[in-house]
Amino acid sequence: MSTFDLLLQQTINGLSLGAMYALLALGFTLVYGILELINFSHFNVFMVGSFVALWTLQALGISGQSVILTGLPLVGVLLAAFAVTMVFSGLLGVAIERISLRPLRNVKGPAAMITTIGVSYILFNIILLTVGADSKNFPNPLPTARFQIGGAILELREILIWVVSLVLMLGLYLFVQKSRLGKAMRATAQDPEAARMMGVEVDRVIITAFFLGSALAGAGGLIFGLYYNFTSFIIGFTAGLRAFTAAVLGGIGNVPGAMIGGVLIGLIETMGGQFIATAWTDVIIFSILVLVLVFKPTGLFGTLTPTKS
Amino acid sequence: MASEATTTTAAVPRRRSFALAATPRRRQMILVAFIVAAALFPILHNNDADIDAGANALAYATLALGLNIVVGFAGLLDLGYAAFFAIGAYTYGILSSFQLEPAWTPFWEPFAWLELVQRMPQPGGDVVHFTLSFWLALPLAASIAAFFGVLFGAPTLRLKGDYLAIVTLGFGEIVPIIARNWSSLTSGAMGLNGIAAPHLFGFNFGIDAEPYFYVALSMVVLLIFVSFRLRDSRIGRAWMAIREDEIAASAMGVDLARLKLLAFAIGAAFAGMTGTFYVAKLQTATPEMFGFPVSVMILVMVVLGGMGSVLGVVVGAILLQLLQSWFLEDLTTWLHALGRLVGSDLLQRVDLVESIELIFGIILVVMMLFRRQGLIPATRRPAALSFEQQHAEVRRGSAIGLKGFSGEKTDVPALEVRGVTVRFGGLVALRSIDLTVPAGGVVAVIGPNGSGKSTLFNVTTGLTRAEGGSIKLFGEEILGLPPHKVLARGAARTFQNIRLFPNLTVLDNVLVGQHARLRTQALGAVLRLPRTRAEERAAREWAMEVIGIFGNRLTPRALQQVSSLSYANRRRVEIARAIASRPRVLLLDEPTAGMNPAETIELAEQIKQLHTLGLTVVLIEHKLDVVTSLAQNVVVLDHGEKLAEGLPEEVRRNEAVLTAYLGRNAGAGSAALV
Repeated sequence: MSTFDLLLQQTINGLSLGAMYALLALGFTLVYGILELINFSHFNVFMVGSFVALWTLQALGISGQSVILTGLPLVGVLLAAFAVTMVFSGLLGVAIERISLRPLRNVKGPAAMITTIGVSYILFNIILLTVGADSKNFPNPLPTARFQIGGAILELREILIWVVSLVLMLGLYLFVQKSRLGKAMRATAQDPEAARMMGVEVDRVIITAFFLGSALAGAGGLIFGLYYNFTSFIIGFTAGLRAFTAAVLGGIGNVPGAMIGGVLIGLIETMGGQFIATAWTDVIIFSILVLVLVFKPTGLFGTLTPTKS
Repeated sequence: MASEATTTTAAVPRRRSFALAATPRRRQMILVAFIVAAALFPILHNNDADIDAGANALAYATLALGLNIVVGFAGLLDLGYAAFFAIGAYTYGILSSFQLEPAWTPFWEPFAWLELVQRMPQPGGDVVHFTLSFWLALPLAASIAAFFGVLFGAPTLRLKGDYLAIVTLGFGEIVPIIARNWSSLTSGAMGLNGIAAPHLFGFNFGIDAEPYFYVALSMVVLLIFVSFRLRDSRIGRAWMAIREDEIAASAMGVDLARLKLLAFAIGAAFAGMTGTFYVAKLQTATPEMFGFPVSVMILVMVVLGGMGSVLGVVVGAILLQLLQSWFLEDLTTWLHALGRLVGSDLLQRVDLVESIELIFGIILVVMMLFRRQGLIPATRRPAALSFEQQHAEVRRGSAIGLKGFSGEKTDVPALEVRGVTVRFGGLVALRSIDLTVPAGGVVAVIGPNGSGKSTLFNVTTGLTRAEGGSIKLFGEEILGLPPHKVLARGAARTFQNIRLFPNLTVLDNVLVGQHARLRTQALGAVLRLPRTRAEERAAREWAMEVIGIFGNRLTPRALQQVSSLSYANRRRVEIARAIASRPRVLLLDEPTAGMNPAETIELAEQIKQLHTLGLTVVLIEHKLDVVTSLAQNVVVLDHGEKLAEGLPEEVRRNEAVLTAYLGRNAGAGSAALV
């Protein structure tokens, strides 16, 4: 492959990975925007989502790489898999908020953050202890249609990932911008106290943020499985850290920023892996995180976080 | 009479709080008992595996003590603490093994003479063999880890606390990756091997657990001592002030960046030292020994024992370690037996040893939800006041006789604000404000809510940035200085919505106010030489004197946490805290808010006394009788602009002022304010 083809191929791969990080970053950004909380449980909601997707596909009779679907059955299976995964992950996020975070809403200091680490650890170990440490094959029911673009290959899988992510992100964006609840969300992010006084039900806003963020993380988990053809209990940590970097890069609290940040991180990962070395990917991404925090803490597109006096 | 009242009431806490050197007896006894029991353990229980487990538990206790400084004292969540552990481990590992063998050159001669390296004959030419002594490695590793602590803490300091968590998490992830990939230095995933065991007076520690146990025990004892010394010093108080309220801490003279980095560096140093110990004991180091799970485990120890509680985190660490190495296996066997007995398949399959991380996660969540202070809380609530004390007749204190304020007779204005503009987005909070406060004067700033009064204080004390203009304190420019420097120059303030350090005592709150006036540094705090002792004693005496201004309202409560005080008393503590900094200008933001008329008059008198002592006072106040009785000059703000300025009587009759306060029609009438 020529350098140009490599570049093209890694752009295709990077866009897919980036879509996944963007979905995950949105969850960080929604929750941080409203609660100023780094939600570490999000890392493993993503991981659990990926297993829920696996189990849903298996329940639908798709196991291994041998079952290939086309047409309406394919659309139905994919819709079902995304729907089940997203609803389950969303509810998981809501449960986490309701059980472990709401009692700490007004507690100052790192208590809430420590709790999310605890929850993350619990999810991680429940999957480890029940599913086991070995990674699981993730079925891919898509037909192997390939398009040749120059020297690069574009698979149907990539197109699906892009389309699904775009639809989800556009949906979220419209929800936040246009809907009543979305407006309440933005108001709460600006000033929770004022929003409450104006009649915004802050609890409902927070639950919505957790539901939507976690549902998107679940979708990200499914995409992870489709992209890598496996899933495992350990996938949450690395992906979570990269997605968080994406959220900071785009400006934490900023919804479009998280999307673009995600895509950038995806591209940086694939390009770095191609032209530097995969072993250093995390070092590169972490360095970006630190550099952004030092030189432009508001990210590329500005932050949107509560104003506290 | 007033000074009498001060001395008699001050006697109550004096016995306990002034005896600086004497740690509470109970704590000392528990400590001694712990040390004796631990020291006897290897002698009484001669089982190498158990002694080894004990040594590991103690090593983790040192890590927990270090993390406690960062998380417990300073309130900074560090999720990559194991990275410093790794740095310390590799420091000793590399410098005492055969990993690096550069060619021998005369450059190495002096190091060979110092016995840091040896010349090793090799067929291809002589090489250098590093032979750093374990005892030298301990401080070296501590210093290197501290350096990295500063390096990686620095980027996040300007940001809100949360980002530190994620950056340290990333850092904790990167260090093992570097250790894995930089094979020439660290031997990569294979791990460093052949690390030399420590020697002491010709005795080789080898692989026998006992000497390691005693080294670990000494480290724990040393670090407990250091932790207590730091906690009960100027440094520890500043850390806790940061933990409780960063903005108030910086407004009271605490240099946030410096003290956060110090906490980070000292915490890292503890871990670096432990890292050296740990690899010396294992004589191997692999990247996996220092991953994220280790950082979480140490955090669990701190959370379980009690964040900020020195003895608590030691207990937490030892409990969790012993849980893992002793109890879980037995417990699993019992559960299996129980499962067979009751025919439960699930119980027979449970493996608690493998579930340890699940248990960690549960501990974190359960502790945060139900017992955030941990098993052994850092602060014990002092006994409540007796009925008599609570219902004692109020004896007013007085500021008269407070030494240390000499009236500043100078023509240079105490505070001179020129053309200061502050803008929040599109909102102009202050528009080109001019204001002069003569030395020794009392100026009141009044105006409707939202008129920019508090913004004026914020911009003066460095909490808000101005777009232009100048603010001079006794002729020196202070605009643009960070809050702690403004306080050091002599402008101290209180806040409209009271910003105290709620979990600290009244006395500690007031002591934090003196931060900028004291010199004790970390080393001085640990050594506690006579100079430090004298400084601390004087600081406490001064604090009690200042608290005494408010008579028996505060003095008997000096050792109570401020969160247990009444609203009016909290205001008094905040004023005392500001006065304790020996300000030249005192900025009071609605000091009588929430006080009843009698209390208001009392406070107004006390402020007047302070003014008599020579203190310049700037006052934001809504109660105009207070303004009239205190202020020589009144400045009226409205919508960020100066509406009027002059004698209280003049301002009261000013039409524009009446309009701003009472509406247009009222202004046309003859209604005077008050």
